[in-house]
Amino acid sequence: MAVGATTGALLWGHGLWQRSGPEAAQRAQRAPEPGDPLTPQEIAAASAAATSGFTEHMAAGSLDLLYVERDDDKAATSRRAEAYLYDYAHDRLIVRTVDLGTSRIVAERAASGRQAPPSQREEARAAVLLLADPKLGPKVRQAYATAAGHRLGSAADLHLQSLIYPRTPCEAHRCLQMFVRLPGGRWLDTSRIVADLSAKKIRSLEW
Amino acid sequence: MRPLLALVALLALSPVPAAAAATTPTCGEPYRIDRTLPDGARWTMCWEMRNIEGLTLTQVAYTPKNGRAVGVLRSASLAQIQVPYDSGEPRYEDIGALGAAAIPLRAQDCPGGERPDQYVCVTTRPRGHAYFKDEPYASAQGDDLVVFSAFQVGWYTYLAEWAFGDTGTITPRVGATGSLADFTTTPAYGWPIGVGRHHFEESHSHNIFWRLDFDIDGRSGDRVEQYDFSGSGTTRRTMRRTALTRETAAVYRPMRWWRVVDYGVRNADGHAVSWEIDNSGSAQYRGPASERFTHADLYVTNYRACERLASENPTPRCADSVDKYVNGEVVRDPVVWVNVDFHHVVRDEDHDPMPTHWQGFHITPRDVTSTNPYR
Ligand SMILES: [Cu+2]
Repeated sequence: MAVGATTGALLWGHGLWQRSGPEAAQRAQRAPEPGDPLTPQEIAAASAAATSGFTEHMAAGSLDLLYVERDDDKAATSRRAEAYLYDYAHDRLIVRTVDLGTSRIVAERAASGRQAPPSQREEARAAVLLLADPKLGPKVRQAYATAAGHRLGSAADLHLQSLIYPRTPCEAHRCLQMFVRLPGGRWLDTSRIVADLSAKKIRSLEW
Repeated sequence: MRPLLALVALLALSPVPAAAAATTPTCGEPYRIDRTLPDGARWTMCWEMRNIEGLTLTQVAYTPKNGRAVGVLRSASLAQIQVPYDSGEPRYEDIGALGAAAIPLRAQDCPGGERPDQYVCVTTRPRGHAYFKDEPYASAQGDDLVVFSAFQVGWYTYLAEWAFGDTGTITPRVGATGSLADFTTTPAYGWPIGVGRHHFEESHSHNIFWRLDFDIDGRSGDRVEQYDFSGSGTTRRTMRRTALTRETAAVYRPMRWWRVVDYGVRNADGHAVSWEIDNSGSAQYRGPASERFTHADLYVTNYRACERLASENPTPRCADSVDKYVNGEVVRDPVVWVNVDFHHVVRDEDHDPMPTHWQGFHITPRDVTSTNPYR
């Protein structure tokens, strides 16, 4: 599977977490009320506005949009979205607030050493790193083949889920602690490794 | 002009109290929940599946039977699930992106209810005796409106549930089910499961935090008070009220509870409307100094939009955990963070699929109605 930023950067709304199906279609048909979640159109508009100026970094894979959350600040008078971005080259979390009426960025906050939960695109990248690891990759493929009775098709077949791992050696880097459920319900033992998305490699934990 | 005049006349005859307008949720279908329970009490609110917090309920309002609507919560959601294992490692913070971890619910997962979206269940559930007395005979059954979602986080399935009672109670709780992590440890840190004494499954805690932004009929006027009843080994119990006027990290003790009160909102008896918080069901986990957010059972903070999670807060240029949100500010618009911990010492019964273990707390109306809310 191509998990590269080239596909991700162009297909707003596809790499982002959002629901498809009848509910999404229903949502799309009417203008949102003030207390409604973001519509797919609003998510797309906020994504485009929030990533303006970052296109090259995104294409190079050094920065990515994680997801877009509705800004629920009760002091806000207009409908707004918060786009979460991560800059892997400088290890900075960036949150850009977009006014959905004007599609303009109205606020930006950034900080190093601060993490937001992993995105689904990041989990896909972690699966690719895991399979590419010279020591662990073959073991994962072997465990998958044994459990499934057939070879692993793509990294996406691992359905990898993750949590942020914020402690040593990942205080400064963005690291994902991974969970992989094999076909049949058994879990891969991934408790002592993390995917370091800043360094683009798998690291072992010492404990 | 005639129809307009008629409309004006109609409005004049049935005045809508100002509060009713303020408590009407500003969301449309399928996000609006509006349920009148069998006894006549009504709850209205909006739901949203947020990327980070998952199921979030906003603009929660309660209308007692024959009463007027009162706004209770501006926003309510989970704020962290910390899972430290007893040997010291691993230590998970289970609020990843909960929205993406939501599990599609089947009809049988939502008994007697509706799924406004495949990830949310809205149903009504009997709660047993509302009251019962023999002379003169009086008996009734109570019901809860229940809103819940399920999330797959690693091995565990978490059921995030909110029960809204016909007496105005709110019971947030989380059920942990799914599978054990299967971590093998030494006898000091675990319990033998499986045949004999070979596999010691590691004990661990599920330390769950909820964020509750109370707005009793709007954001102004809300105060938090702590109540203690002194006197141990004596015949008397004396009530002591402590107004938490500044941000506070509070520790639970027997006979201690808190309430969020608005002295500007009164019931028919002239008493201030409030909701009481009972957090007596926690194992009170206390982590190392690097995890100070685990060092209290209830936090009161002044509202700040950037303060969203109890730890690993995802907002840049904002404090990163609830213990640091408590920094001496005067509380003008309280947000209450409730920490309920469960120490999971694994049993043979926890084999796959692990039976659900529940943890939560109780929010009870105090002087919202001036009499039994069922009458
Ligand atoms: Cu457990």
